[in-house]
Amino acid sequence: MTMTDRAENTLLILPGLVLLVLAFFVPIAQMLVLSVAGENGPTLAHFQRFLSDPYYLNVLWRTVRLSAIITLICALIGFPLAYIMAHVSARARLWLVIMVILPLMTSVVVRTFGWMVLLSRSGLIPEVLRDMGLVGRNFSLMQTETAIVVGMVQVLLPFMTLSILGVVTRIDRRLEEAARTMGCGFLQTLRTVVLPLSAPGIVAGSLLVFTLSASSFVTPNLLGGSRIQVLAASIYRSVTQTLDWPFAAAQAVILFVGILVLLMPYARLSGRTNG
Amino acid sequence: MVKAVPTPIRVAAILFVILTGVFLLAPLVVIAGVSVSESQFIAFPPTGFSLRWYEAVFSSDAYLSAAWISLRVALLVTVTSCLIGGAAAIALHRRKLPFSGALSTLFLSPLVLPTIIYAIGMLMLWSALFGPVSILTLWVSHTIVTTPYVIRTTLAVLSESNPFLEEAAQTMGANRFQRLRLVVLPQCLPGLAAGTFFAFNISFDEAVLALFLRKPGMTTLPVQIYGQLEFSPDPTVAAVSTIMIGLTVLLIFLIDRMLGLQRFAST
Repeated sequence: MTMTDRAENTLLILPGLVLLVLAFFVPIAQMLVLSVAGENGPTLAHFQRFLSDPYYLNVLWRTVRLSAIITLICALIGFPLAYIMAHVSARARLWLVIMVILPLMTSVVVRTFGWMVLLSRSGLIPEVLRDMGLVGRNFSLMQTETAIVVGMVQVLLPFMTLSILGVVTRIDRRLEEAARTMGCGFLQTLRTVVLPLSAPGIVAGSLLVFTLSASSFVTPNLLGGSRIQVLAASIYRSVTQTLDWPFAAAQAVILFVGILVLLMPYARLSGRTNG
Repeated sequence: MVKAVPTPIRVAAILFVILTGVFLLAPLVVIAGVSVSESQFIAFPPTGFSLRWYEAVFSSDAYLSAAWISLRVALLVTVTSCLIGGAAAIALHRRKLPFSGALSTLFLSPLVLPTIIYAIGMLMLWSALFGPVSILTLWVSHTIVTTPYVIRTTLAVLSESNPFLEEAAQTMGANRFQRLRLVVLPQCLPGLAAGTFFAFNISFDEAVLALFLRKPGMTTLPVQIYGQLEFSPDPTVAAVSTIMIGLTVLLIFLIDRMLGLQRFAST
């Protein structure tokens, strides 16, 4: 029995393709359908309810605001870190990669628990701040937006760093050397040569971090508590507590559309540079 | 000759790396500290040294059954994502199928879509078609999110392999199956192995799908920990968490052996 190359490749890819369609694209379609499901046919009532309630608009605004702050902080730490990682010896780089990957591969639940211990009233950080006389006796960082930002930056910094590192390591070192021999100072070279060339990595990392930040609920729920709701936490509550699935689906669609709008220009841009 | 990096900047860079390292690793160190504390309250720095919280974990039915479910799901997921992802990566690497560029994007799309959106879709579809969720639901959905990692690591290894070996084997009379088994599979192996360790790690640690697709009596370890953290965290949670961190360290070591962490970091 002979088999063509085409048949062999099709056989290899088919199980994955079938699974992907049935267990990934169909569920997403189901969610889209449910978001407009009403008792008497399709309706936009669930979207209307979300977009006309100040409470939910506030949740949405908080999600966008916190995600933007988290992304900015990650970029500010991630760029220098990636630059340093690209420029140290191979041995030092291995240790830095471990330093970044170990938290990345640890369960989010576990990492957030660490911050709960550090930030709670009897935790290390409020205690140190109290000893320094900076804050009062009942000061706690738990259940604040600050706690969410701190925890999320730690969770997402590895993504930003690795995105930028991939680009920084490919920058031709001779460009930097040329700038230095032409009389540029170190920081000037960094600003005028390395930073523009790293921009694709910074943009890709920022989009990734913003997306992950806007869609996470485990860390915000545990560090922010139930009073400080973000969009993903609100979706989770609609599914598990109020059991309002169509409303949960509508909120997920709002998140989905927001992320698509954010990613679309980037996909078109990177498609153009590749093609 | 290029002027070296100025000393003040060098010092600042070293300080910056140390501070970032402390920030990244502090939560993990703190948990390990709490887990060996004698105190029955969660406190850091720990007071005294005791392994009683580890004993408590190993005599707790809730944790043991959660660990057993997590382990079963992770092992099943590892097998399926390795088989499906490995096969797909071989076909994608050859680029001989129509729309192979679009197919690659399609296969990696679960990496881009936030898990919460997928989780909610899966829950709704499964409930509509089959009723209550089961281990099978978790198995399928974890396979979806881990397969792209296997594909990525396998593709990374294949892109550096010698494409002429397969042709040579064909010229020497090897049939299709022999070529796959004796030439292509050994070429894939390091990437496949690294991918399966990733798959295991992600499935074992995953909380979002597991939180959405849960029911009484089917709680994975991360969900069990999440539940404890919401209500009454005690040092046993720290002990379980430390065991999970230890497992991650082991897997990172294995991935470094298989593929090299450096390579993973720059892809």
